Amino acid sequence: MSAAEGKTAGAGDPILVVRELYRHFGGIKAVNGVSLDVGRREIAGLIGPNGSGKSTLFNLVSGTVMPDRGQIRFDGHEIGGRKAHAIARLGLARTFQIPAMFDNMSVTENLLVAAAEGHWRGARERAADTLALLKLEHVSDNRASDLSGGQQKLLEFGRVIMRQASLILLDEVTAGVHPNIRKIILEAIARLRERGITFLVIEHDMEMVRNVCDRIIVMDAGRVVANGSFNDIVRNSEVMQTYLGRPQ
Amino acid sequence: MKPRWTGLLLLIAVIVVLALLPMLVNNFWLRIATGALMWAGLACSWNILGGYAGYINFGHSAFFGLGAYVTALLMGDKLAWPFFATLPAGIVVTALFAIIIGAPTLRLRGAYFAIATWAFAEVLIQFASVMDFTGGIGGIGLPPFLDERFFYFAMFGAAALTYLITWALFERSRFGLKVKALRDHEPAAEAMGINTSLVKLQTFVLSAVTASVFGAIFAYWVTFINPNSVFGGDITDQMVVMVLLGGLGSLWGPALGGVALFVVNRIIWMYWGDTAFYIAILGAAIVLVVLFLPNGIAGLFSRRGAKSGAVLDKAVGNLAGDGQGGPS
Repeated sequence: MSAAEGKTAGAGDPILVVRELYRHFGGIKAVNGVSLDVGRREIAGLIGPNGSGKSTLFNLVSGTVMPDRGQIRFDGHEIGGRKAHAIARLGLARTFQIPAMFDNMSVTENLLVAAAEGHWRGARERAADTLALLKLEHVSDNRASDLSGGQQKLLEFGRVIMRQASLILLDEVTAGVHPNIRKIILEAIARLRERGITFLVIEHDMEMVRNVCDRIIVMDAGRVVANGSFNDIVRNSEVMQTYLGRPQ
Repeated sequence: MKPRWTGLLLLIAVIVVLALLPMLVNNFWLRIATGALMWAGLACSWNILGGYAGYINFGHSAFFGLGAYVTALLMGDKLAWPFFATLPAGIVVTALFAIIIGAPTLRLRGAYFAIATWAFAEVLIQFASVMDFTGGIGGIGLPPFLDERFFYFAMFGAAALTYLITWALFERSRFGLKVKALRDHEPAAEAMGINTSLVKLQTFVLSAVTASVFGAIFAYWVTFINPNSVFGGDITDQMVVMVLLGGLGSLWGPALGGVALFVVNRIIWMYWGDTAFYIAILGAAIVLVVLFLPNGIAGLFSRRGAKSGAVLDKAVGNLAGDGQGGPS
């Protein structure tokens, strides 16, 4: 499907519906009329060059930034303009492009924070399970600020697991991490998907996009320019121009 | 012996010594101990917001003063309330002020919040200085009650309760996790479902009402207050330095810093007759702590160590802007 058709189609019964979403920062049109759907249990990849509006779209959907106009519907709730904590409580969790650690708290406390609002019962047991899943048991008492960059990515991913969310937004979760950590993250995504969790993933690593994502949405200059399977996308001339540049 | 048991035994020993102190020392030293307990409690109340939530409040004396004035006014000739009845009244009045002031100012961050709170305290000084019912600049007297043991145990009880509440809420509950999370990364805390505006306001109110209780006891103890003696900026300054010296964001640090600096203050007063030199010591203490003890005295006894001052870094970073500054 091309951008000209106005919106991207996901699987039936979408969990996330975005319509005509705008957010401008002064003269910069960070998100400029985006429409897309993400189907339940889907892993949708969101790709595009730097500055194409992917992270701003995440910030709008998660409530970190307020939209200028447009609609965002998550799991039947209109969430456009709602505060981030209210959206999180509906079952949407996210990571940040730069790992957002609670620096002065231990690794275990970082996980417990994610359960402090709404999922407290059994939180310590779930934190222990999450530490085991992500192979972080040996640093459980360390301060988050003392972890390596890759371990911080793991820990942030662990926090979204602890949220018990139905939709998880991952912002370059495997960027710059050791292959072993990347493998741990990908295995965890696969296990969570089996539990019925939906993912929208910003990623620059095309290998990962090809192997993990069911469908790919391409953004450029604040707009969705393409949407489809990996093979559709690599054959799309507009996407190739977006990445490689237009002929002069 | 495990550190946990060592700490518990040390705590029991301190409580026993403090409980028996009035039987061991004369009134002069008992007054110094009463003052030390007050400052230990006030430092803890400042640390609730400054250390745990990372919001640097330069107007905390406003709440100390509110507690003092509510007690002074209610115990005056016209109303003649008993002292203990004034305490809940002071708490309610202070909580209302904290909500009214905190709701808008806690939307600010860093230096903007610090300036707003400082301005609030200055407004209260001016207000108390010009209004008739507060006695204006001349101040207001309270019925004298000259039982040093009463005031010692009142300060002891208030300080013990303040530390107990702080320990239970910030070291042992999920509320404490939420507060520390917003200190370290507010947008991430929001993304974890935490209503940071509400949690900050709750923390601000708790910090304010604990200070007001000490203000109430102080007013009754000294039997006379004026705007500068209870709203003055130097009261907040001392709390800040005491917390930095003891350990920002730690439970016991403020007690160590509060007692240490107050005792130094009294020693200087005893030997030199005034405390001007004490102000210079406060300034030097800030410089030395920032350079060599960013986790304060408490850091010397923690696994984190004395020199890794991440909480201080966070607070100073917030104060300086550091990407999260300005109106949010």
